[in-house]
Amino acid sequence: MEPEQGVTAEPIDANPLRWLYSIFARFVARFWGVIIILGAWQAWVLISGYNAIVLPPPLSVLHQVATNLGLFAFAGLQTLAVAIIGTVIGMLLGSVAAILAWYSRLFSGLLTPLALIFTAVPAVALVPVIARLLGYDIRTVIAIVAVISFFPSFVFTGSGLRALPPGSADLFRVNGASTWMQLRYLALPAAVPHWMVALRLGAASAVLSAIIAEFAMGTSGLGSVFSEARDSFDMTRALGASLVATIISVIGFLLAISAERIVRDRWD
Amino acid sequence: MSVASIQPTAPEPIIGTAGIPAINLDRVGKNFRLDARREVKAVSDVSMNVGKGAFVAILGPSGCGKSTILRMIASLDEPTKGTLSVLGTTPADCAANHRMGIAFQDHALLPWLTIFDNVALPYRLAHLKADPGRVAQLIDLVGLAGFEKARPKQLSGGMRQRAAIARALLLNPDVLLLDEPFGALDAVTRRQMNVELQRIWSEQRTTTLLVTHSVDEAVFLADRVIVMSGRPGHIIREVAIPFERPRHPDVMRTVEFHHLVNELTEALHPTEGTGAP
Ligand SMILES: Nc1ncnc2c1ncn2[C@@H]1O[C@H](COP(=O)(O)OP(=O)(O)OP(=O)(O)O)[C@@H](O)[C@H]1O
Ligand SMILES: [Mg+2]
Repeated sequence: MEPEQGVTAEPIDANPLRWLYSIFARFVARFWGVIIILGAWQAWVLISGYNAIVLPPPLSVLHQVATNLGLFAFAGLQTLAVAIIGTVIGMLLGSVAAILAWYSRLFSGLLTPLALIFTAVPAVALVPVIARLLGYDIRTVIAIVAVISFFPSFVFTGSGLRALPPGSADLFRVNGASTWMQLRYLALPAAVPHWMVALRLGAASAVLSAIIAEFAMGTSGLGSVFSEARDSFDMTRALGASLVATIISVIGFLLAISAERIVRDRWD
Repeated sequence: MSVASIQPTAPEPIIGTAGIPAINLDRVGKNFRLDARREVKAVSDVSMNVGKGAFVAILGPSGCGKSTILRMIASLDEPTKGTLSVLGTTPADCAANHRMGIAFQDHALLPWLTIFDNVALPYRLAHLKADPGRVAQLIDLVGLAGFEKARPKQLSGGMRQRAAIARALLLNPDVLLLDEPFGALDAVTRRQMNVELQRIWSEQRTTTLLVTHSVDEAVFLADRVIVMSGRPGHIIREVAIPFERPRHPDVMRTVEFHHLVNELTEALHPTEGTGAP
């Protein structure tokens, strides 16, 4: 995008084997902690001889996922979709609420305690209440994800709208900028990096909260796979659902981090 | 939002009367409330006139209320006593009509915009259609041609201040307010900036009020220098600067220049004159 900065693209190696190896090496370099824990877990199960109901070894969990790819992929996509939709709704509502609070003290006084109370209530406790309102289906799951991502977006957008470059507020006032102009050209752009932090936090917890809601609802996604497997004492499958959820979470989180980095680069 | 009725470039000055001074302060005082009991008397009993097309500099010890005066003129603070008018009207009116340009110590460039968009910003805030030609011309005037697409963080401190000054000049303001615009720069860059500002000003002749700590800067740039006392700030001295315009940097080497600088320095620090080499 900006050639003057002299960013050189990494040369792609001609030899595909070497290329695969370099990806593998980077993966190991980054996740060696996780690999060690999994290795220890596998060894421990082998040595102690626990049966699979108590503690299945990671390799059989992998095998479980590989042999039921269709089931896990479908449930995983369902959970992912719900997590994304819920996060988008929650972040939109949170940002709108933050803008209202920025605009008027009255809204600020009204919204801030409400948002705080909502966050203080654990998600699991919200499930039956929201389910009673919206029905025992995917809408409740989306609502739970939205409620959970609302707060970070409200707080971070709110602080971002006030984190203005030094002197810029004075500049806008002396230049006769209307409130709308101050919002449009100053406060909103200033809030973007903060908003990205909220997105990162939201992305990290969205899949988790979606699964908790699905688990409680038992109707769709990885959460219900987990809950059904647990009911039939199939711990390997339950952990398979967790594994898929973790992978989705980590990917979402990494994507959000790199998006945040790109934005930061442009902003400060 | 009637975009159709808007002129492509900066509008004409709203006040065409030659008799009314551009800036007038009449026994202006300003107190700041610190808490329920205590108040700071920042400025007391300041009266001054800045004529149209004049360049006036204010010198004074730190904390004497120079920035406060500028902020009141810019409509950013209200005086507690006295009256203050800009272009025959209130500062707030003047700001609402986009007639003022400011460049303060913080360059206040928006980091997410390019230099071009930063300089063009006042067009947007005034609901005017941007005139890219004028923006480019101003960027050229402050010596930033070629940096239109750069972002503020890619520029040096002096370049950022020049961009801020270009932005302040964009709408052909009737009043230009400068508060230590070069305060954060090293002595060499600062002198360069003074020379450039002098050149730009001699072309535009915008009514300008400059707050500075540098006596040299004040004498080189201004038609008139006002010296203020320590807090609560009031005017203790006014000196007219006779040099012809446009001023060549060589003016700073003349005996007259040094006389004026010494005189003003003495007015600023009356007791410290003996220790100087
Ligand atoms: N917002 C404020 N609240 C309280 N006191 C203030 C405020 N702004 C300025 N003051 C006080 O008013 C006095 C004058 O401040 P001002 O910033 O105008 O000084 P100055 O002459 O610009 O100083 P300097 O040369 O250091 O910039 C100071 O004593 C300062 O503490
Ligand atoms: Mg000051």
